[in-house]
Amino acid sequence: MGSIPVSLHVVLMKGCNLLDNRLEKILPLVQKPARYIGGELNSAVKDKNSVDIRYAFCFPDSYEIGMSHLGIKILYSIANDRPDTWCERVFAPWPDMEEKMREEGIPLYALESGDPIKDFDFIGFTLQYEMCYTNVLNMLDLAGLPVRSADRKSLSPIVMGGGPCVCNPEPMADFFDLFSLGEGEEVNSEIMDLYKIHKAKGSSKDEFLREAAKIPGVYVPSLYDITYNGDGTVKEVKPKDGAPEKVVKRVISDLDKVSYPKSFVVPFIDVVHDRVTHEIFRGCIRGCRFCQAGFIYRPIREKQPDTINEQCKELIKNTGYDEISLCSLSSSDYTRIEELLTKLLEWTPKENVNIALPSLRIDNFPEELMQKLLSVRRSGLTFAPEAGTQRMRDVINKNITEDEILSTSRTAFAGGYSAVKLYFMIGLPTETDEDVEGIGILAKKVVDEFYACPDRPKGRGVTVGASASSFVPKPFTPFQWEPQATPDELKAKQEHLKATVPSKKISLAFHDIPTSFLEGVLARGDRRLADAIELAWRRGCRFDSWGELFKFDVWQQVFAELNIDPAFYANRRRSFDEVLPWDHIDFGVTKSFLMREAKKAYEAKTTPHCRIQCAGCGSNKLNGGKCECLK
Amino acid sequence: MFEVRLWLSKQGRIKYVSHLDMFRLMQRAVRRAEIPLWYTEGFNPHPYISFLLALSLGTEGLREPVDIRIVDDMTPEEIKNRLNGAMPEGLKIEAVTTPVYKPAAIAFGSYRVYYGGVTESELFDALTCGELTCEKSGKKGNKKIVKTVNVSEHIKSFEIRAEDGKTVLDVVLPAGSVFNLNPQQLTCAVSARLGRDITAQRVIRLGLLTDENKPFE
Repeated sequence: MGSIPVSLHVVLMKGCNLLDNRLEKILPLVQKPARYIGGELNSAVKDKNSVDIRYAFCFPDSYEIGMSHLGIKILYSIANDRPDTWCERVFAPWPDMEEKMREEGIPLYALESGDPIKDFDFIGFTLQYEMCYTNVLNMLDLAGLPVRSADRKSLSPIVMGGGPCVCNPEPMADFFDLFSLGEGEEVNSEIMDLYKIHKAKGSSKDEFLREAAKIPGVYVPSLYDITYNGDGTVKEVKPKDGAPEKVVKRVISDLDKVSYPKSFVVPFIDVVHDRVTHEIFRGCIRGCRFCQAGFIYRPIREKQPDTINEQCKELIKNTGYDEISLCSLSSSDYTRIEELLTKLLEWTPKENVNIALPSLRIDNFPEELMQKLLSVRRSGLTFAPEAGTQRMRDVINKNITEDEILSTSRTAFAGGYSAVKLYFMIGLPTETDEDVEGIGILAKKVVDEFYACPDRPKGRGVTVGASASSFVPKPFTPFQWEPQATPDELKAKQEHLKATVPSKKISLAFHDIPTSFLEGVLARGDRRLADAIELAWRRGCRFDSWGELFKFDVWQQVFAELNIDPAFYANRRRSFDEVLPWDHIDFGVTKSFLMREAKKAYEAKTTPHCRIQCAGCGSNKLNGGKCECLK
Repeated sequence: MFEVRLWLSKQGRIKYVSHLDMFRLMQRAVRRAEIPLWYTEGFNPHPYISFLLALSLGTEGLREPVDIRIVDDMTPEEIKNRLNGAMPEGLKIEAVTTPVYKPAAIAFGSYRVYYGGVTESELFDALTCGELTCEKSGKKGNKKIVKTVNVSEHIKSFEIRAEDGKTVLDVVLPAGSVFNLNPQQLTCAVSARLGRDITAQRVIRLGLLTDENKPFE
């Protein structure tokens, strides 16, 4: 019998940060258990007895996706800056974990405390894309709560939603108590302040919600009655109990004054975007007509280079990350990009920190600056011409010419690149076979550009990846009235492109058609879709955005059983005078502006970007009439 | 350039962070601690950090060696304090030393396992039966193969006792770059022998040993 020669001078840890026994039993059995343990660096740990408000910030997708999202980091830090509040993170457990949790009777818990979220004051979801809706229901159910707002009678938890999808929250209206429209930095705190008063008074949920509806930017769906016409369209949306006719989204007036996180929670496992992310401005000047983000985040507001630089320094110090990603809808439209990069490049190389600049437009980026960036690290080269012909690009107002695409490719090839990715869409309004063929032709011209370039990388061939996604019309865009191309039409377009692509150097990629179709249904849906979402979830649908888990056949059965025609939502042309399900929601851009843009699209007329000429979108009213483009 | 050996303890829920993720975690911790790390040269410079022996997912460790290289001399005390100020919960630098042995000198791991569902005598009988076997997957060339290993031959030494209703096993098993046997495999073998599943509720690697049964330093 041998002895153990290693001295046991290290004290074995007991209790403190060990997990619940039931969790210890299941964690060794699931994939990537570090997603479910909490305890990451910089996570907020507080004493639950010293706070008034417990807030569960839920991201209805996997940990890897949710931990990559900037909005959650911002709102998490602002909520935790309040001494009276403890905000914790919750993500959707992957199906293997869900199964084990249900077997063991472990309810959905928050990562920081491990406490069940059922007893929290707020459960907040961010709705980033439509395909996460079934996950919201699943998370509420895993928490042990009824999924419908009407069945949750007590004041707490208040289930609230935010994010871009709440510009048309109607399909999810029955599941939420309230929605917070627009930017959440200020309004979330106002909601919490009001809640504290009502909790102390012992108010009912209805009493609280009626008062909450008076806060600008707060939409309480139960305070609106919807009636429908015989043809299925919305007849009227009627507010009650003093709720406003229109709920206007909130914006932050001055980005330099609003709080930005001083540290990020640093995940243990590799997540999608694992780095310091810094938002350099909000809004977009471009007005590409297919792009919802380009309209719903208006008006334009920029952050000062000094503010960004100082905040980046602090974040790098507190996280140990070695990359900064400057994020916005179109980085090179930031008016002070050169000044900012110069400041950042003063200290980042010697600290071995890279700078990533996604969403660069190719038409206005100085070459010298490009060289500077590349000297730190070379990333992939991706262009988004979005459409194959100039006519089509004019329709969608993507103000980019073929010459610009080709000349930038030429520069890139001469600089050593041999792979280019091109992003396109198919199924755009007015699209013809010729426009679809144009995708292959344009990609071929990029290939030819490579072989015509005397300084191209020697001994290597070129690869041009052309990805064609299916266009999904979205609310608050000039195409919100358009029919989405039907699945059959999209299939034919994909086949046509495959058949006409002129070079083997081009690799084509497409989006899954059923996914785009369901996205189209949910994006412009109304409250009657709640039954379908609930039934699909009860039949096992979740993680619908994950190809391997998407069960389109179940969705189809559900629509048929409930007598809902999904094509009514996805593939129907709306008239300009139809009452849209989201007409009582105001995201700044006016309906008349969107109509003007739609009509110009049919004429293939472009609209110059906001710094050349104001197009009168109306979003400046959100910021007291101010717009930084109007200087 | 200076070689420095860190002795890391990993306890509690952080045991679910994998070997691969630990590398990235340490990289960030040394950056936060502003340790003057030596970076590899070349196209994609990265700091030199080496975990000498992987710890299985779910196993805690009390004294895990991690080698780093620094460019400026810094006292062990300073390195330890800086790093401990930058570590996430559950990780602690217990000591900082100059390496004595080369990594290849690691020959054994000493483990403590807390078992449920097995008595002291059942466990003793199983470990001394002489024909305890488990299946171990490995590679032969590019092919994946499953080998049957006689565990009994490889148990260097062990001790069993009871504590708070649990059966506690201290055991020394082969570890290192040549041949490894971990407590999970031992547990499988015992389960197979007994014809029922026993559970290792907590597994801790106490330390590493050399060929001559001396502490790896």
